[in-house]
Formats: sequence, C-alpha cells, structure tokens
Amino acid sequence: MSWIKEGELNFLERIAANILKAGPMPKHVAFIMDGNRRFARKKNVDRQEGHMQGFNKLAETLRWCKHLDIQEVTVYAFSIENFKRTKDEVDGLMELARQKFLRLLDEMDNLKKHEVCVRVLGDLNMLPLDLQQLIAKAVVSTKHHNKCFLNVCFAYTSRYEITNAVREMAWGVEKGLIKPSDVSELLLSECLYSYNSPNPDLLIRTSGEVRLSDFLLWQTSHSCIVFQSVLWPEYTFWNLCEAVIQYQLNHKSIQKARDVYQEQQSLQQLEADRACVAEQHQGNGKPADSKRRQEALEQYSACREERVHDFLQALKHKRDLFFSDLSSQAVST
Amino acid sequence: MALVYGLLWRLLLFLVHINRAFVSWLRVRTRCFKGRLWERAMASLLLPVAFTEFPEEQKKIQRSPDLMPLAADNVAERQALFLRDGKSLEKLPMHIGLLLVDEEPNYTDIANLIVWCMAMGISCVSVYDDNGILQKNNSLLMKEVIQLQRHLGVEGSKVEFLNNGSDRHVVSCRPTVNVLSPEDGKQSIVQAAQQLCRSVENKERSPKDISVSMLDCLLREYKNIPDPDLVLKLGPVESTLGFLPWHIRLTEFISLSSHRNISYEDLLGALHRYGACQQRLGK
Repeated sequence: MSWIKEGELNFLERIAANILKAGPMPKHVAFIMDGNRRFARKKNVDRQEGHMQGFNKLAETLRWCKHLDIQEVTVYAFSIENFKRTKDEVDGLMELARQKFLRLLDEMDNLKKHEVCVRVLGDLNMLPLDLQQLIAKAVVSTKHHNKCFLNVCFAYTSRYEITNAVREMAWGVEKGLIKPSDVSELLLSECLYSYNSPNPDLLIRTSGEVRLSDFLLWQTSHSCIVFQSVLWPEYTFWNLCEAVIQYQLNHKSIQKARDVYQEQQSLQQLEADRACVAEQHQGNGKPADSKRRQEALEQYSACREERVHDFLQALKHKRDLFFSDLSSQAVST
Repeated sequence: MALVYGLLWRLLLFLVHINRAFVSWLRVRTRCFKGRLWERAMASLLLPVAFTEFPEEQKKIQRSPDLMPLAADNVAERQALFLRDGKSLEKLPMHIGLLLVDEEPNYTDIANLIVWCMAMGISCVSVYDDNGILQKNNSLLMKEVIQLQRHLGVEGSKVEFLNNGSDRHVVSCRPTVNVLSPEDGKQSIVQAAQQLCRSVENKERSPKDISVSMLDCLLREYKNIPDPDLVLKLGPVESTLGFLPWHIRLTEFISLSSHRNISYEDLLGALHRYGACQQRLGK
C-alpha cells in the first residue's frame, strides 16, 4: 500500500478542520504509533498484518495532517529496544521496511508532486546494509522537497540520539573546530538527528500507554503531550482532532513556559561567555573598564558563533556524505 | 466565513472548558458514589482517558473512611494503615516524581504528598516546578515536611533532602526528597557533555569511546537520581516542562488536575492506576 493517500476530507471533517484551523495549530506533530500487536490479537490476525495495518494508518494520518496544515510529522517506527523481540518478528519488520522503502522509491514522482521530504532518524548502522542503502536513497532523493516533512525514527532511542550528539561535539573538539566551553543546549540540539526540524508542538501516543519510551525526550521537553487509548490501526480523524484541541487548550501556557525558558537560555549563554572572557583576561593584571569588557564580550561571542557555524557546516557535510555514499552503493548493487 | 469559523472555535473551546469544570466538580461529588454510576457519567461526557480516573481504581479505594490512615487514632495504627495501603498496590514505585505545572506551590499540600508517599513505602520522592521556585524555597518545604511527619508520627528514618549539587556523594538508601528544577535536566546533560569534550581535548579519551552508559554514569555522578518509575503531573498543563529529560524514558505519567487540596484518596487512586501499567520494554 502507498505512502501517500490522496483524497479530500468529507463534509463533516472539512467543517471540523476549518473550525480547528481558526485557532493555533501545531506545525510539527510526533506520533508514537503503539497498539499494532494488540490490534492484531483483537482481530485474530497475525502480528505482521497488524504492522501492515499500522503502516496504512500512517499514510491516512499523513493525509489528515496535510488537510490540517500540519507541515511536519515525526513517527516512532522502530526502537532500538525492539531488537529484543523474537527474530521472526524483527525480520518481519525489517522486511516490511524494505518493501515500504522500495515502494517509496517507486512513488518518487508522487512525492515530488506533493513536495514530501522523507528523513530517517536513528542509528542506521544497526540495520541490515541493504535496508540502509534503500533508506539513504529515499532520503537523498527527497532532500530538496520542502512543503511537507516526514521523519521516520528507525533504530532510534532518545538516549542513543543524545549520546551521538555528544560524540559529534567531541569530534568537533578533537578536530579543533570548537572548544568544550562552546558546548551548550542549543549546540547539542543542532547535533541531534532531528537538527533539521523544529521541536514537536504536539506528541501523541496511542494504545493507552502513558510513557514516552525513549522517544524525542530532549525535543519534547516543552511539547504538549497527549495520551490516547485508541489502538494505532484504529486511529480516526476525530482522534486527531481531539489531540489538536488539547494542544490548543495548552497553547498559551506552554508558549509562555517556552519563552521564559529561552530567555533563561540566552542569559546563561551570556554568563558563560562572560566567564570565558574573564578567564582569558585573567593574567592581564589591570582590570579593564566596562566599555573594554563589553567589547571583549561581544568579540568573544562573535568568534564563538563563527566557530560553531563552521563546525555545524562540517557536521552537515559529514552527514550528507554518509547518506550520499550509501545511496550510490544502492544504485550500483 | 473565517469569522464564523473563528466564533465556532471559541465556542468549542468554551464547551470543552465547561466540560472540564463539570468533571472536576463531579469528581469531588461522586467520590462516594458507586463505580457504575461514575462509569456511565464519564462515558456520556465522552472524555478522553487523561481526564478520567479509572473506575476500577475508584472501587479499590472505596471503603469505610474509618480505615483511612489519616483517620487513625494513634501513631502505630496510622503507620500500619499507610504501609497496608502501600502493600495493597500491584506495584509500588521506588521513585516517584511530583511535577508541578503552571501552579503556584502550596507547601502544605506538597508536604502532604511527600509524607504520604514515604509513609506508604516509596523511598525516593522528587518534586519539580519549571520556575525553580521549590528549589529556591527548599527550606520552607523541608520545614513543612518535618512538621507534618511529626504531627502524623511517621518519622521513621530521617529524610534526606537533596538540593542542587551540594550532596554529590550521598548514596540514597535512606528516604530521600529531591527538589529539582530545569537546571537538573538539559543543563546537567550539557555539563556532562562539556566534561567529556574536555577529556577528549586533553587526549584522555576518543569520541568513539563515548557511549550511552558512560553518559549515564556521568549524570548519576552529578546527582544520584534514579529514573522515576512514576510521575504525577499536578496542574492543568499537558507537558513535562523540562523535567529530567534523560531520566524519564520509561516513566509512567499520570495527570491530576491540581496539587491544591489534594486528598490521600487522589494519591492512592493514581498509585492504583500505576499498578495497572504494564511495561514490555520494547519486546
């Protein structure tokens, strides 16, 4: 079945969508698509069928999001913890992923038409090589599309993602591109797999579980989190509307908390820069006047920002090379 | 047309607010009602899970008010009743987080929650608010807790209050209360990252050596906080607002509408609901 489901909303759905869109709408929604196996048990079908239905529901949900002007969607498709499942189930999921990414490559024209950019976030080197190559091809082919964004978290956990970001920053320090004192929350965010995306406004978990299961823990610290009891393959447009209403109810308070937090961040960065400047001028003896101190601070901040910019360029190049190498391997095999 | 939709949207939000207010009122009123009536009422109000208390859990804690620990006549009986309630749960969290979202803290109510949790056998309690108010007024909270413990006679072993950075090497085998703020969240991860980067700069290790367990160990060195098993989110905002992002990967979240005037039954209900959560750990 296809990644992209065409089709308009029905009359009632259109009315509901228009009403919701009169209020603040989330621009980026993340889904923990839980409940495929419970659905399969409920319907007396095998697990693989449950996962297939789950994928179909994803395609349908993307259609609803498009009609609700939700530009970006991130989904938790496969956790590193899921490798603990039986070999049969893991192999089945890998095979499903292979089929789906092959299908994606077949539908490239359609993806271009809708300008859908597909990204895959995770420790991809844990996956079979052929799957990595397919994924890389899909990512590279849709890189320049910029109307809708689908981020698929595959072989992903948040702790691995944060650790990888720390590793990248350590790589930057090793290469002499940045200093340890340049490490900040903002820089860490830029080193996560999700660096190309704003933080999710809304996180939805289905099937009634009320935990985050190591998904986007850093990025969702100020997101609206909604737990819904419906099983993922049974998700409806109205469930999505319910979650959006929750977002709208919480919008003002969360925005306020976000703004306060960002202000604190800026102050913290300023203090950190001041401390670095003070350390630099420690051996200078004469205490500088406040004008000189201000100039030194501004100069330091500018240098730091330049360093960070160059480091992030180098990191982007490294990442792009990883995908383009894998992608070209896929062509030649 | 846009104006019409705008008005309809405002109407929708207004109706949802009314619905919420009605539910809160109903919850207080029907505490002693039979479970079935509650179920029907909730179903007719078409409420999402987050706003309802599970009727099964309501049934479990519906019993004679005389059997409530707070109604006990003497200290020994009270202690026994608290422990009995703790044992009656399917599972007891080892570490519970009390997350205040968008509410001005009431120290007495928070102290109540802390003391009840400890009396039931939960050895580690963390309290958090995203403005860091609790951390600033740590001593106030401590005073309320000690006073309440004395009043209820549930002192038991002395409670360790851990605050920002001052008690690095305390091994928490005693009951502990952690008073946390956003600094203990992302900022701690950044500090650990800086330390690892410095050791790479000094050629003490290579970036490839940095692993999840290494980062985890380093974070525990700064502040030895175990992962919370359960977080009670107290307040109207549906967000974690920066609470310990690294530690909450498997934490169950249960929402209660407010910490103000929170009752022992509210806490017990939430703990029963926690008991029903089943973790598959990826499998």
